[in-house]
Amino acid sequence: MAKIGVFVCHCGENIASMVETAKLVSTIADHPGVEISTEYKYFCSDPGQETVKKAIREHNLTGVVVAACSPRMHEQTFRKACAEAGLNPYMLEMANIREHCSWVHTDKKEATDKAIEITRSLVEKVKRNNDLQPISVPVTRRAMVIGGGVAGIQAALDIASAGREVVLVEREPSIGGHMAQLSETFPTLDCSQCILTPRMVEAIQHPNITVMTYSEVEEVDGYIGNFSVKVRKKARYVKMETCTGCGDCIQKCPVKKIPSEFECSLGNRTAIYTPFAQAVPNVPVIDRSRCTYFKNGKCGICKKTCQIDSIDFDQQDIIETLEVGAIVVATGFQVQDTSGYGEYGYGRYKDVITGLHFERLASASGPTAGKILRPSDGKEPQTVVFIQCAGSRDVSKGVRYCSRICCMYTSKHAMLYAHKVHEGVSQIFYMDIRAAGKGYDEFTRRAIEEDKAGYIRGRVSKVYEENGKLIVRGADTLLGRQVEVQADMVVLATAMVPQHDAKDFAKKIGISYDEYGFYNEAHLKLRPVESSTAGIYLAGACQSPKDIPDSVAQASAAAAKVLGLFSKEHLEREPVVAMVTESTCAGCWGCATACPYNAIDHRDINDRNGNLIKRVASVNPGLCQGCGTCVSFCRSNSIDLAGFTEKQIFAEVMAL
Amino acid sequence: MGIQEQYRNEAAELLSSGAVKLVIGYGEGSTSDRRRPVFIRSADETARLVLDANCIANLSGYLVPEGLLSDGKSVAVFLKPDGIRSVNILAAEAQVNPDQVVILGFDIDGGQASPLPGRKATDFAPLIESQKSTGLSTELQQEADQLELMSATDRFEYWNQQFSKCIKCYACRQVCPMCYCRRCIVDVNQPQWVNTSSHTLGNFEWNIVRAFHLAGRCVACGGCDRACPVNIPLRLINHRMSKEALDAFDHFAGESADQKPVLATFRQDDPETFIL
Ligand SMILES: Cc1cc2nc3c(=O)[nH]c(=O)nc-3n(C[C@H](O)[C@H](O)[C@H](O)COP(=O)(O)OP(=O)(O)OC[C@H]3O[C@@H](n4cnc5c(N)ncnc54)[C@H](O)[C@@H]3O)c2cc1C
Ligand code: SF4
Ligand code: SF4
Ligand code: SF4
Ligand code: SF4
Repeated sequence: MAKIGVFVCHCGENIASMVETAKLVSTIADHPGVEISTEYKYFCSDPGQETVKKAIREHNLTGVVVAACSPRMHEQTFRKACAEAGLNPYMLEMANIREHCSWVHTDKKEATDKAIEITRSLVEKVKRNNDLQPISVPVTRRAMVIGGGVAGIQAALDIASAGREVVLVEREPSIGGHMAQLSETFPTLDCSQCILTPRMVEAIQHPNITVMTYSEVEEVDGYIGNFSVKVRKKARYVKMETCTGCGDCIQKCPVKKIPSEFECSLGNRTAIYTPFAQAVPNVPVIDRSRCTYFKNGKCGICKKTCQIDSIDFDQQDIIETLEVGAIVVATGFQVQDTSGYGEYGYGRYKDVITGLHFERLASASGPTAGKILRPSDGKEPQTVVFIQCAGSRDVSKGVRYCSRICCMYTSKHAMLYAHKVHEGVSQIFYMDIRAAGKGYDEFTRRAIEEDKAGYIRGRVSKVYEENGKLIVRGADTLLGRQVEVQADMVVLATAMVPQHDAKDFAKKIGISYDEYGFYNEAHLKLRPVESSTAGIYLAGACQSPKDIPDSVAQASAAAAKVLGLFSKEHLEREPVVAMVTESTCAGCWGCATACPYNAIDHRDINDRNGNLIKRVASVNPGLCQGCGTCVSFCRSNSIDLAGFTEKQIFAEVMAL
Repeated sequence: MGIQEQYRNEAAELLSSGAVKLVIGYGEGSTSDRRRPVFIRSADETARLVLDANCIANLSGYLVPEGLLSDGKSVAVFLKPDGIRSVNILAAEAQVNPDQVVILGFDIDGGQASPLPGRKATDFAPLIESQKSTGLSTELQQEADQLELMSATDRFEYWNQQFSKCIKCYACRQVCPMCYCRRCIVDVNQPQWVNTSSHTLGNFEWNIVRAFHLAGRCVACGGCDRACPVNIPLRLINHRMSKEALDAFDHFAGESADQKPVLATFRQDDPETFIL
């Protein structure tokens, strides 16, 4: 006989102000199987939990329903209370009459009726619950960080310094990401390379970090604590083990006119190259698509040049399978392709460039050795117009959000320009100046007050060329008039957008993303560095536009989460796993195909003499994540989910 | 020599050589234009086999009874292209081992049965491929178009009326080669998802469940449609689901013996039109 205890919580006023709890309590008390029904202001409090425990002992309850908040809040609390009172923790159900009821309704009577129905349906469910025991699975205490920008490097270093192994996977030939391309960084104007390269070197030298550059993740299988990741190490055609990074091959390569990706095409590279001088690892790669040897078998100069025979044209891609317990995704961002903006003339006029180009011009190691020289004729521009929100906050450009960094780096650019071209005039078209970080507003003030950045509030409607000058036409909305500015160079603060393959990558590794392709956190406020998939964490600009301080902070936070996971050798998992009814299973393997975690195997049923009677599905409880996909697939209902059996769900629904 | 003669001889040879232990074919039925399945186990019985334009039933369902193929011996079966496709599905769903199935293939065109070359399901791959590229039946499409023209309310009313006739005899299920489950969902009573009584709600539940369970699996053999004693146009439901599977997922039921079930697979480029 079921003896169910129902505990109706007021949640202060959260529930009691909209649901007549007394009526709920008395109605449920009459429901068949309910032994005791009672209410209290805060059941999650100590005295509240004591009440529950006492009732379990005194009434020998077989099941408990707490009608309160979402199970996400307090299911664990009450499960623990049940266990302490000697009841199997899985004999508890939470009836969510807060998020699903009191918070979203305005009519007291209707809300009360709904609360009664919700509670009743869980009473019906809990009557059909069974004792379950948690499943314990081992944790592989080794992490993978995907993306070797500043966020990925930071996460890797933090995890490694705490004594755990890390594999850092970067798809480019060098780690460093966008930060390696920057000149000086707001809000302190320290040189980007100078603060980043020591970190890069530390990462590659760290005994706990394996850096895999020029490598891409192909496939992720498994689950929290036990991922199996296939990584493709692309052929470099240069032997990592022997190359000393002398660079002789690069010097000698005759194919010299390839626009350098790292230099945003402001400079060139060779077919065998490292993206930049301080690359880590300092081992070149051969760009197969450009190399003469790969085109027609001729050349091979690099091979002849290399004194230690480190060039190997026969290298092949290698697929490595790595077992890791946690994954940090730090794949970063890209700047939006601005060529779609006809009105700004990008792509049409050589001297209309993006902020990232400007970084390269201002960088001491850049193509102009840090001189601000315009691309068209290499002259020093006397007037530079900066256009903020070039793409961001513009529905028609598909980027509704604020990219968060452009206000700051535009101020920085105006400052750097003033420091390098003393007589230069900078004009900045802006919508708002968003400078909300530590030291940020002071930074933009400094640009205005000390470095004479001329801010014009308004949008630019058109950039065109006249008599060799760029004319920027726009509105000054503060003065309420049209303005036209002549400029020698125009810098667009282009939007920060997800990597071009962000969505495909998310599907590959099984995390969710927003409408743009930025990766979703599990909870924007309370779980900002966890992805929607257990064991996969997020760091840096892949989650949303971020500057360096925020990227680094998030990376350290993700590392802390990983280390928390690695603090135990075993992980307790919910016993919500699928189970097969072997007598009716037809062995069609539909469930096995549908299972996203490869948790279903074949099992032979033999007679006493070992002859095969039939072959049925069999669930590996270590792998099963309890998603229920198989249950919804099986046509004959031969597979069911412990804790959420069809019987339970059906009873729940029918009680409504 | 006509096709009937030819296939009788062939069946006799398969049986006497021991290549197959059983031939599943057509025999005379209760009226002159009806055929019923016959199960021939020795060469001297092959004279009972009939093969003509009346042999329309899909016999592949007779391959699945538990134990029939467990001795590893082969069985020959008379099949039209739709039946060959169902053998592929049965193989894909691990219900038959295609190596144990010898296909005596034929097609019916212009009131005539004619032989199809090939003996193994894989031999018919080009034929099935060409069927796929031709697309689903245009006749059915025209009939379906009529329904699509109706407003949603009218269409609902139409099906409401049709389903209200259903007497839950499950003839549609018994005849379908794809309905091989050891326990059909309608026979599950813990919990009783599908109402067993034949009132409109129960009938709706059953017919919708049937439609979904056959999505991407129905080969349009028409067995259910002919079996239905109250003439519910089941072909139109099946057709609608097949069209959905083909248009949205490029899935043509029974293309090959390793085809994956459309409702159990996910591809990165699957349309997500249902996600708002
Ligand atoms: C013009 C400009 C100026 C800026 N100036 C400043 C400044 O002054 N101060 C400041 O604080 N911030 C500045 N920023 C912002 C700064 O660049 C970012 O905050 C920072 O680079 C984010 O780091 P990240 O590691 O998240 O991403 P990224 O730097 O983009 O690094 C991501 C890395 O992941 C790799 N990757 C991507 N996909 C994969 C994959 N599938 N597999 C393996 N590897 C992959 C990429 O190759 C890259 O190396 C500026 C940005 C721009 C555009
Ligand atoms: S889907 Fe159902 S019948 Fe098919 S193998 Fe899985 S449990 Fe068995
Ligand atoms: S519930 Fe089923 S589909 Fe989901 S992980 Fe478990 S076995 Fe796989
Ligand atoms: S649903 Fe009907 S038409 Fe389709 S395969 Fe089954 S019996 Fe044939
Ligand atoms: S054959 Fe017709 S009447 Fe019988 S169950 Fe099927 S749809 Fe209903």
